[in-house]
Amino acid sequence: MKIITTALLLGLCLAASACQHVDPWERNLLARPDMAWEVDELAATQENHTYFSKEAALPGGGVGGGGCGCN
Amino acid sequence: MRRRFLTPLLPLAVWLATSASLALDEGDRAPDFQARSLNGDAEVVLHKLHGKVVLVDFWASWCAPCNAAMPQLEKLSKEFPADKFVVLGVNVDKKLEDARHALERRPVSYPNASDPTGMLPKRFGLQTMPTTYLIDQDGVVRLVHRGFRNGDMDEIRKHIERLLAPKKG
Repeated sequence: MKIITTALLLGLCLAASACQHVDPWERNLLARPDMAWEVDELAATQENHTYFSKEAALPGGGVGGGGCGCN
Repeated sequence: MRRRFLTPLLPLAVWLATSASLALDEGDRAPDFQARSLNGDAEVVLHKLHGKVVLVDFWASWCAPCNAAMPQLEKLSKEFPADKFVVLGVNVDKKLEDARHALERRPVSYPNASDPTGMLPKRFGLQTMPTTYLIDQDGVVRLVHRGFRNGDMDEIRKHIERLLAPKKG
Protein backbone atom coordinates (compact mmCIF):
# COMPACT_ATOMS: atom_id res chain seq x y z
CA MET A 1 0.00 0.00 0.00
CA LYS A 2 2.85 2.31 0.85
CA ILE A 3 4.37 1.72 -2.56
CA ILE A 4 1.08 2.53 -4.28
CA THR A 5 0.66 5.75 -2.29
CA THR A 6 4.24 6.77 -3.02
CA ALA A 7 3.80 5.98 -6.70
CA LEU A 8 0.56 8.00 -6.81
CA LEU A 9 2.20 10.96 -5.10
CA LEU A 10 5.21 10.76 -7.39
CA GLY A 11 2.92 10.63 -10.41
CA LEU A 12 1.00 13.62 -9.10
CA CYS A 13 4.22 15.58 -8.57
CA LEU A 14 5.45 14.74 -12.06
CA ALA A 15 2.13 15.69 -13.59
CA ALA A 16 2.06 18.98 -11.71
CA SER A 17 5.62 19.93 -12.56
CA ALA A 18 4.64 21.38 -15.93
CA CYS A 19 1.76 23.38 -14.51
CA GLN A 20 2.22 27.06 -13.91
CA HIS A 21 -0.54 29.01 -12.29
CA VAL A 22 -1.18 32.30 -14.09
CA ASP A 23 -3.16 34.85 -12.13
CA PRO A 24 -5.82 36.81 -14.05
CA TRP A 25 -3.77 40.03 -13.84
CA GLU A 26 -0.67 38.29 -15.23
CA ARG A 27 -2.16 36.95 -18.45
CA ASN A 28 -0.73 39.60 -20.75
CA LEU A 29 0.39 37.70 -23.88
CA LEU A 30 -1.90 34.79 -23.03
CA ALA A 31 -4.84 37.17 -23.41
CA ARG A 32 -4.01 37.89 -27.04
CA PRO A 33 -6.57 36.60 -29.56
CA ASP A 34 -3.91 34.57 -31.37
CA MET A 35 -3.20 32.67 -28.14
CA ALA A 36 -6.74 31.32 -28.08
CA TRP A 37 -7.26 27.58 -28.45
CA GLU A 38 -9.09 28.26 -31.73
CA VAL A 39 -7.91 31.41 -33.48
CA ASP A 40 -10.78 31.39 -35.97
CA GLU A 41 -13.87 30.02 -34.22
CA LEU A 42 -15.98 29.94 -37.42
CA ALA A 43 -13.35 28.10 -39.47
CA ALA A 44 -12.86 25.60 -36.63
CA THR A 45 -16.60 24.91 -36.44
CA GLN A 46 -16.78 24.35 -40.19
CA GLU A 47 -13.79 22.04 -40.12
CA ASN A 48 -15.23 20.06 -37.21
CA HIS A 49 -18.56 19.77 -38.98
CA THR A 50 -16.93 18.29 -42.07
CA TYR A 51 -14.81 16.01 -39.90
CA PHE A 52 -17.60 14.50 -37.85
CA SER A 53 -19.72 14.05 -40.98
CA LYS A 54 -17.00 11.89 -42.46
CA GLU A 55 -16.17 10.10 -39.20
CA ALA A 56 -19.62 8.87 -38.22
CA ALA A 57 -18.22 6.43 -35.67
CA LEU A 58 -16.86 9.24 -33.50
CA PRO A 59 -19.09 10.36 -30.66
CA GLY A 60 -20.27 13.90 -30.08
CA GLY A 61 -20.88 14.95 -33.67
CA GLY A 62 -24.42 13.71 -34.12
CA VAL A 63 -25.32 11.79 -37.24
CA GLY A 64 -22.91 10.69 -39.93
CA GLY A 65 -23.46 11.30 -43.59
CA GLY A 66 -22.00 10.99 -47.03
CA GLY A 67 -18.99 13.09 -46.27
CA CYS A 68 -20.12 16.30 -47.91
CA GLY A 69 -20.42 18.02 -44.50
CA CYS A 70 -23.89 19.27 -45.39
CA ASN A 71 -25.94 17.45 -42.73
CA MET B 1 -6.95 2.83 4.90
CA ARG B 2 -9.07 5.58 3.41
CA ARG B 3 -7.28 8.12 5.56
CA ARG B 4 -3.99 7.17 3.94
CA PHE B 5 -5.33 8.16 0.54
CA LEU B 6 -7.12 11.27 1.71
CA THR B 7 -4.31 12.74 3.81
CA PRO B 8 -2.14 13.74 0.81
CA LEU B 9 -5.15 15.52 -0.68
CA LEU B 10 -5.70 17.64 2.43
CA PRO B 11 -3.22 20.41 1.51
CA LEU B 12 -4.84 20.67 -1.92
CA ALA B 13 -8.29 21.04 -0.37
CA VAL B 14 -7.02 23.68 2.07
CA TRP B 15 -5.33 25.58 -0.76
CA LEU B 16 -8.51 25.54 -2.88
CA ALA B 17 -10.66 26.65 0.07
CA THR B 18 -8.37 29.51 1.10
CA SER B 19 -7.85 30.87 -2.43
CA ALA B 20 -11.63 31.12 -2.86
CA SER B 21 -12.20 32.71 0.54
CA LEU B 22 -9.49 35.37 0.02
CA ALA B 23 -11.52 37.09 -2.68
CA LEU B 24 -12.97 40.36 -1.48
CA ASP B 25 -16.75 40.23 -1.47
CA GLU B 26 -19.71 42.50 -0.96
CA GLY B 27 -19.97 43.57 2.69
CA ASP B 28 -16.20 43.28 3.28
CA ARG B 29 -14.13 46.29 4.21
CA ALA B 30 -11.98 47.39 1.26
CA PRO B 31 -8.26 47.11 2.03
CA ASP B 32 -6.61 50.49 2.25
CA PHE B 33 -3.77 51.05 -0.18
CA GLN B 34 -1.27 53.57 -1.33
CA ALA B 35 0.15 53.40 -4.83
CA ARG B 36 2.02 55.59 -7.24
CA SER B 37 -0.11 57.20 -9.91
CA LEU B 38 0.43 56.12 -13.49
CA ASN B 39 1.82 59.55 -14.34
CA GLY B 40 4.27 59.16 -11.50
CA ASP B 41 3.46 62.60 -10.17
CA ALA B 42 1.34 61.67 -7.14
CA GLU B 43 0.43 58.98 -4.65
CA VAL B 44 -3.03 57.48 -4.77
CA VAL B 45 -4.31 56.73 -1.27
CA LEU B 46 -7.66 55.02 -0.86
CA HIS B 47 -8.45 56.15 2.69
CA LYS B 48 -8.19 59.79 1.61
CA LEU B 49 -11.32 59.16 -0.46
CA HIS B 50 -13.40 58.05 2.53
CA GLY B 51 -16.72 59.88 2.61
CA LYS B 52 -17.08 59.45 -1.15
CA VAL B 53 -18.38 56.53 -3.17
CA VAL B 54 -15.32 55.08 -4.89
CA LEU B 55 -15.32 52.83 -7.92
CA VAL B 56 -12.02 50.93 -8.12
CA ASP B 57 -11.43 49.49 -11.58
CA PHE B 58 -8.61 47.00 -12.15
CA TRP B 59 -7.45 47.15 -15.76
CA ALA B 60 -4.56 46.29 -18.08
CA SER B 61 -3.61 47.38 -21.60
CA TRP B 62 -3.86 43.82 -22.92
CA CYS B 63 -7.36 43.28 -21.54
CA ALA B 64 -9.94 43.99 -24.27
CA PRO B 65 -13.02 44.26 -22.00
CA CYS B 66 -11.08 46.63 -19.70
CA ASN B 67 -10.37 48.89 -22.67
CA ALA B 68 -14.02 48.73 -23.70
CA ALA B 69 -15.11 49.75 -20.20
CA MET B 70 -12.82 52.75 -19.83
CA PRO B 71 -14.65 55.27 -22.05
CA GLN B 72 -17.85 54.35 -20.25
CA LEU B 73 -16.19 54.74 -16.85
CA GLU B 74 -14.96 58.15 -17.97
CA LYS B 75 -18.53 59.10 -18.84
CA LEU B 76 -19.77 57.71 -15.53
CA SER B 77 -17.17 59.68 -13.57
CA LYS B 78 -18.66 62.91 -14.93
CA GLU B 79 -22.27 62.00 -14.25
CA PHE B 80 -21.99 62.47 -10.47
CA PRO B 81 -20.59 65.32 -8.37
CA ALA B 82 -16.83 64.99 -7.86
CA ASP B 83 -17.16 65.51 -4.10
CA LYS B 84 -19.46 62.49 -3.83
CA PHE B 85 -18.20 59.98 -6.38
CA VAL B 86 -14.80 59.14 -7.80
CA VAL B 87 -13.51 56.54 -10.23
CA LEU B 88 -10.07 55.17 -9.44
CA GLY B 89 -8.31 53.00 -11.99
CA VAL B 90 -5.66 50.50 -10.94
CA ASN B 91 -3.41 49.45 -13.80
CA VAL B 92 -1.61 46.12 -13.46
CA ASP B 93 0.63 46.25 -16.54
CA LYS B 94 4.19 45.19 -15.83
CA LYS B 95 5.49 47.78 -18.31
CA LEU B 96 4.39 51.34 -17.61
CA GLU B 97 4.77 52.26 -21.31
CA ASP B 98 2.04 49.76 -22.22
CA ALA B 99 -0.36 51.41 -19.80
CA ARG B 100 0.56 54.90 -20.98
CA HIS B 101 0.07 53.94 -24.64
CA ALA B 102 -3.33 52.49 -23.75
CA LEU B 103 -4.27 55.77 -22.06
CA GLU B 104 -3.15 57.71 -25.11
CA ARG B 105 -5.56 55.67 -27.20
CA ARG B 106 -8.38 55.98 -24.64
CA PRO B 107 -7.69 59.03 -22.52
CA VAL B 108 -9.46 59.28 -19.17
CA SER B 109 -9.50 62.12 -16.67
CA TYR B 110 -9.95 60.03 -13.50
CA PRO B 111 -6.86 59.08 -11.46
CA ASN B 112 -5.04 55.86 -12.19
CA ALA B 113 -2.73 54.02 -9.85
CA SER B 114 0.02 51.77 -11.15
CA ASP B 115 0.70 48.37 -9.63
CA PRO B 116 3.19 46.46 -11.79
CA THR B 117 3.97 44.07 -8.93
CA GLY B 118 0.43 42.72 -8.70
CA MET B 119 0.24 43.42 -4.96
CA LEU B 120 -3.18 45.11 -5.08
CA PRO B 121 -4.99 42.44 -7.10
CA LYS B 122 -3.68 39.90 -4.60
CA ARG B 123 -5.00 41.94 -1.66
CA PHE B 124 -8.38 42.30 -3.33
CA GLY B 125 -8.39 38.62 -4.32
CA LEU B 126 -9.00 39.45 -7.96
CA GLN B 127 -10.52 36.54 -9.85
CA THR B 128 -10.95 37.96 -13.31
CA MET B 129 -10.04 40.95 -15.45
CA PRO B 130 -11.55 43.46 -15.37
CA THR B 131 -13.08 43.61 -11.90
CA THR B 132 -14.79 46.68 -10.55
CA TYR B 133 -15.32 47.30 -6.84
CA LEU B 134 -17.87 49.83 -5.70
CA ILE B 135 -16.90 51.07 -2.25
CA ASP B 136 -19.31 53.10 -0.15
CA GLN B 137 -18.65 56.22 1.95
CA ASP B 138 -17.59 54.06 4.92
CA GLY B 139 -15.07 52.00 2.97
CA VAL B 140 -17.26 48.92 2.64
CA VAL B 141 -17.46 47.05 -0.67
CA ARG B 142 -21.04 47.22 -1.96
CA LEU B 143 -20.61 45.72 -5.42
CA VAL B 144 -18.07 43.40 -7.01
CA HIS B 145 -18.54 43.44 -10.76
CA ARG B 146 -16.49 40.85 -12.64
CA GLY B 147 -15.91 41.16 -16.39
CA PHE B 148 -17.47 43.76 -18.62
CA ARG B 149 -20.15 43.63 -21.32
CA ASN B 150 -22.20 46.31 -22.99
CA GLY B 151 -25.05 47.21 -20.69
CA ASP B 152 -23.17 46.41 -17.48
CA MET B 153 -22.69 50.11 -16.78
CA ASP B 154 -26.43 50.53 -16.24
CA GLU B 155 -26.31 48.09 -13.34
CA ILE B 156 -23.26 49.83 -11.85
CA ARG B 157 -24.92 53.23 -12.26
CA LYS B 158 -28.01 52.02 -10.36
CA HIS B 159 -25.82 50.90 -7.45
CA ILE B 160 -24.06 54.28 -7.35
CA GLU B 161 -27.39 56.13 -7.38
CA ARG B 162 -28.59 53.95 -4.50
CA LEU B 163 -25.45 54.72 -2.48
CA LEU B 164 -25.67 58.43 -3.17
CA ALA B 165 -29.39 58.67 -2.43
CA PRO B 166 -30.20 60.57 0.77
CA LYS B 167 -30.63 58.20 3.70
CA LYS B 168 -34.17 57.97 5.04
CA GLY B 169 -34.77 58.71 8.73
